[in-house]
Amino acid sequence: MSDVLARLEGVGKDYPLLATGASRARMLVSLLAGRGATSHATALDGIDLEIRRGDAVGIVGENGAGKSTLLKIIAGVVKPSRGTAVTNGRVGALLELGSGFHPDYTGRENIYLSSALLGLSRRETEDKVEAIVSFADIGAHIDEPIKHYSSGMVVRLGFAVATALSPDLLITDEVLAVGDESFQKKCMRWLERYLGGGGTLLLVSHSMYHVQTLCRRALWIHQGRPRLDGTAFDVAREYLTYHEEKTRIARVAAPTAVSGTQPRLEKIWLERASGEATATFALGEDIVLRGIALEPDDRTPALLFGIVRADGTPVYGSLSIDAGYAATRLAERRYAFAVRFPAAPLLPGKYEIRAHVLEPEGLRLFDTIETAFVVTGETRDFGLVRLAHEWIPGREAP
Amino acid sequence: MAPRPAHSWRWLLANFLKREVSSRYTGSVGGIFWALANPLVQLALYAFVFGVLLRAPADSLGGWRFPAFLAIALWPWLMFGDSVKRAMDCIPANTSLIRKVAFPHELLIVAAVGGTFFIHLLGWAAVLVALRLWGEPVSFAGLLLALPLLVAQFAFTLGVGAFLAALQVVLRDVEQAVGLALTVVFYATPIVYPLALIPAPYRDWLALNPLAYVVTRYRDLLSGAGGWQAGDLGVIVASLLTLAAGLWVFRRLSPWFEDLL
Repeated sequence: MSDVLARLEGVGKDYPLLATGASRARMLVSLLAGRGATSHATALDGIDLEIRRGDAVGIVGENGAGKSTLLKIIAGVVKPSRGTAVTNGRVGALLELGSGFHPDYTGRENIYLSSALLGLSRRETEDKVEAIVSFADIGAHIDEPIKHYSSGMVVRLGFAVATALSPDLLITDEVLAVGDESFQKKCMRWLERYLGGGGTLLLVSHSMYHVQTLCRRALWIHQGRPRLDGTAFDVAREYLTYHEEKTRIARVAAPTAVSGTQPRLEKIWLERASGEATATFALGEDIVLRGIALEPDDRTPALLFGIVRADGTPVYGSLSIDAGYAATRLAERRYAFAVRFPAAPLLPGKYEIRAHVLEPEGLRLFDTIETAFVVTGETRDFGLVRLAHEWIPGREAP
Repeated sequence: MAPRPAHSWRWLLANFLKREVSSRYTGSVGGIFWALANPLVQLALYAFVFGVLLRAPADSLGGWRFPAFLAIALWPWLMFGDSVKRAMDCIPANTSLIRKVAFPHELLIVAAVGGTFFIHLLGWAAVLVALRLWGEPVSFAGLLLALPLLVAQFAFTLGVGAFLAALQVVLRDVEQAVGLALTVVFYATPIVYPLALIPAPYRDWLALNPLAYVVTRYRDLLSGAGGWQAGDLGVIVASLLTLAAGLWVFRRLSPWFEDLL
């Protein structure tokens, strides 16, 4: 069997707009003539994706971005309007809740139905029923109709079925978000073992933790189009940054009107330790902030810097006069300043650094300039900064 | 979806079939009893109205007493009419599957029609045995001769069911129209009356109704009178063509079901 389990080239999907009876009639004629759907709304466009055996690919994006449509195309449930989608091997899909359960069937009947849908024989299924029932762990409910289940129970059963049938490619859509804590852990353990054993996973999740933990690659879909395809770490970071910027509240202090009689900032920029100007730093690299301030009375101005994450969360700020720092006088009324952050412990993400100029006593703030920068790198640490820490030998409680 | 050999779907079809048969009566105490009771009540009503009140002339009934005359055609009619209704119901009823799993949707139609035929075949067989015990001249050799026509009727029903089920997903009006059409076809088929009662110009129109042909033939064959006719072959060919056309339309539309449901 080929090593490529799924290949999508230029895949797009339009959903028909069928508000009126006439449009339904036109649609019917068009479909029968083999011309495809008529008027439509585009849900997905220009998706290229190749999934090889052993891959673990995350799909991220906002609600309505087209993630579920993409999964349905790969699972073969939806016919793409454009492009080609080819899959090889046995595809197990957990789309939304439940993997194609019939609400009127009991849990046990659904196990048989699902495995028949996946193409297993009766004997293969019978060997696995007990394992599925015990993995789902929903007790006597297994003989009740699915429609009486809670969403958590449906997901438990769905996951149990999908896993027991050992698909070549496992597609899961937000499955981990529904189960309770202990079931999530069980699923994560199972997925890690599945991936360790060469399994192939396609995961849709809003949890960047899950994407980063389980996936090596990720695809960010934005409004039906691919926005970023890269390592899970890069995509997760960019995606989170996007959300941070979206929810950001402008908290920048409104600068007082700048006039020739008040201190102001001419410019600021960022540099590496080598002096090269840049806005992208590697995790743990030195960051140097430099700037030029103008002081109309030719007195050494006080300066303040502040670092905020892209969503406006403050990280750290400090005032020059508290450190006894005096800016370097370049010319009359013109002062240069610089701050170095040795081995900056900021975690990967997008940040802004702001510089403020104050009168020499540091009481009134006159001008603000900000500039954005990015910290790149791979880490599973979370939060804003890496705190110095060490793991040390443990001992019994006193 | 990677193409899968047809036989790998057999168990899925068996699953659907079993479900189709059992789902009709689960939750009821009477169970399979209702499968018989429902047509029996219809039989009693029609027998009273058309056999007692309106009194079909006995010499036009081909040697049957009226209830027997009626019963032989009523169950085959139910196999058709009920199957069409079930076929049209089965796509919306399985929306949750269609939206989440890839499988050949026509299996649902085959299960709906097959399950309905199975139930009404059981009923028909039971009624034929009862009629025989009642002294009606039911020929079981004739029943064997009727088998090819029954298979043709199955193919025809499957074709019509697939066609209407697919059409209905795109055009919701179909369900209403079919409800009406089935009533018309019921009376356009000589079930509650003998064909001989119909005046000549109308009788020619009825000849266009393949169901009219098969129920008349069932009566002939079950009475032990004669064997196959050339017309039988024509009906078999027409049924297979209907099946092919119905499946063609169904397969054209079924990839879009997910969009339209």
